[in-house]
Amino acid sequence: MKLHEYQGKEILRQFGVNVQEGRVAKTPDEVRQIARDYGQSVVVKAQVHVGGRGKAGGVKFSADPDKAFENGEKILGMDIKGLTVNKVLVTRAVDIDAGVEYYIGMIVDRNVQSFTLMASAEGGVDIEEVAAETPEKIVHYRVDPITGLRPYEAREVAIQAGFKGNLNKIADMMVKLSQAALERDAVLVEINPLFVDASGTPIALDTKFEIDDNAMYRHKDLADWREMEAEHPLEIEASKYGFAYVKLDDGNVGVLGNGAGIVMTSLDVVNRAGAKPANFLDIGGGAKAEIVYNAVKLVSKDKDVKAIFINIFGGITRADEVAKGVIQALQDGILTKPVRMRIAGTAEEEAKALLAEVNSPLIQMFPNMFDAAAEAAKEANK
Amino acid sequence: MGILVNKDSKVIVQGMTGREGASHSRAMKEFGTQVVAGVTPGKGGLDFEGWPIYNSVAEAKEATGANVSIIFVPPAGAADAVLEAAHAAIPLIILITEGVPTVDMMKAVQEVKALDAQSREHGGEGVRLIGGNCPGLVTNGEAKVGIMPNKIYTQPGRIGLISRSGTLTYEAAKLLNDAGMGTSTTVGIGGDPVIGTTFADVLPMFEADDGTDAIVVIGEIGGADEEAAAEYIKGHMKKPVVAFISGRSAPAGKRMGHAGAIIMGNVGTPESKLAAFKDASVPVADTMPEIIDLVKAALHQ
Repeated sequence: MKLHEYQGKEILRQFGVNVQEGRVAKTPDEVRQIARDYGQSVVVKAQVHVGGRGKAGGVKFSADPDKAFENGEKILGMDIKGLTVNKVLVTRAVDIDAGVEYYIGMIVDRNVQSFTLMASAEGGVDIEEVAAETPEKIVHYRVDPITGLRPYEAREVAIQAGFKGNLNKIADMMVKLSQAALERDAVLVEINPLFVDASGTPIALDTKFEIDDNAMYRHKDLADWREMEAEHPLEIEASKYGFAYVKLDDGNVGVLGNGAGIVMTSLDVVNRAGAKPANFLDIGGGAKAEIVYNAVKLVSKDKDVKAIFINIFGGITRADEVAKGVIQALQDGILTKPVRMRIAGTAEEEAKALLAEVNSPLIQMFPNMFDAAAEAAKEANK
Repeated sequence: MGILVNKDSKVIVQGMTGREGASHSRAMKEFGTQVVAGVTPGKGGLDFEGWPIYNSVAEAKEATGANVSIIFVPPAGAADAVLEAAHAAIPLIILITEGVPTVDMMKAVQEVKALDAQSREHGGEGVRLIGGNCPGLVTNGEAKVGIMPNKIYTQPGRIGLISRSGTLTYEAAKLLNDAGMGTSTTVGIGGDPVIGTTFADVLPMFEADDGTDAIVVIGEIGGADEEAAAEYIKGHMKKPVVAFISGRSAPAGKRMGHAGAIIMGNVGTPESKLAAFKDASVPVADTMPEIIDLVKAALHQ
């Protein structure tokens, strides 16, 4: 689950990180009031789950309360990469020229089977750009997941990264970042920029925080933070059914299958067949007819979808259950788009018999995934 | 022959009395696996369909001499179940459970590796974890410690199979089976970001196995395990290896069902994996059926 900047900052604050003060506003009037309360220049920042909000005009320096109001009006309601901005964070502005900007981050790193702490003196910019152009400027350090990052390790990394300022305070912030990552089950947490002011004191100016969905059960206090409006409506509906579903751009073939690997390969096969997958949908193992019915219903709702490709390799999933779900959707009038499917494995013959009985041109079964995908692509591209 | 498990493996099932644990215990027994007992804390002393249930792994091991444990415990307790088995010195632990928090897996994997090193230092067998979020292991004609459908393993053969994905493991095993080649051992390593055993850990075992002539590696986008495998193959493998990469058309930044299957920045792209395999002279199949052609070609060289 991705957190907004203000939410990530709230968590970091709970762990004792020195975070730049700010408040959330939903109207331009609230923005002005916050600026007045602070009695200084502020930055108005869109709270939306996309990268590059600065470049899109979602972050604006405001010298006085009226300017803040004006910027609030501009940013609230703005559309950034398809998402509407409903909230802004208003923070005290800092004089960037009076200090330096660094980067620190913790990321799940499968290559070291733990978190890797990354630190760079090249802060304030997209770290992926630094990684691509000058990778030597990023220090990587494996954090022991059982002990967490210890202060001496943090100091060592800070020195290696060439950080200037109060070494102990900066190292302390890194230790707290590590604690936040481990205790709050982060997938990724970044402080960027980590601003070190003229006195050498570090302040977190911006943060990215993403939490492991598998661990949400032990962070019930954060459940309210899941922002439905920030995800695709079909993705929200899919999560209600417990499906692993991803909406894909510019697609015309709905894809569903049993298992992440087979669905991923199904996307590849649809592409090879000359069409574009409109979604990723894994119905999981052992799906009953009702689950298949819901999956077909969900994919059918997608206006981009012109045909549906179903790819099932039945081990614990029974092919006849899949067929029953699809047939039910047809009989209820939910299924109106052509379904081309490949169902192999358990109860394959029973599935064929059920489909033969219905005998609808909308539903056709094929012995292998390539033929089914090719037919789905043909229908979708008509 | 084959690796990791065979007809002599004595298997306990942690979480045997749950729905998944029960049905897969039956299927493993049908396959011919020596399933010797179950572990469900609080249900010790129970007779479950002829299997004795113990309260702890240590008790079950003591009573049965088990040397493999397969875990079906729900996510919140799964890492703890792994640690229990590892501290009971079970040499091979297979974690099937999907959805275990990554931080739990980091801690468990690190501890299992420490126990493994300790055990080996004292002349022991070591401790190995496979998974989580994996379909388990099959040594064809001998034993299944996993959840693969039994009927795709009718034809024992000499091809080793390693895969990050469950369903694609079945798909590949069936293709090899139907092509008359068959598999020696199938190892599903799991689709999570932090797993106990990687491709590069399994490859040397196949290289040393007299029952395996060639190896098929089923990878996917995300991470750098395939690159690490390619590096190992280049330096150490004499047997031919054929690869397949799933998710080649997936967009960056989107997690494709598996927690590990995501392209982040330049890490985990299909291009990087293809280049690594090319550099290691490993042919990569564009489609799954092509795997068969490539294996045939590799064996005839």
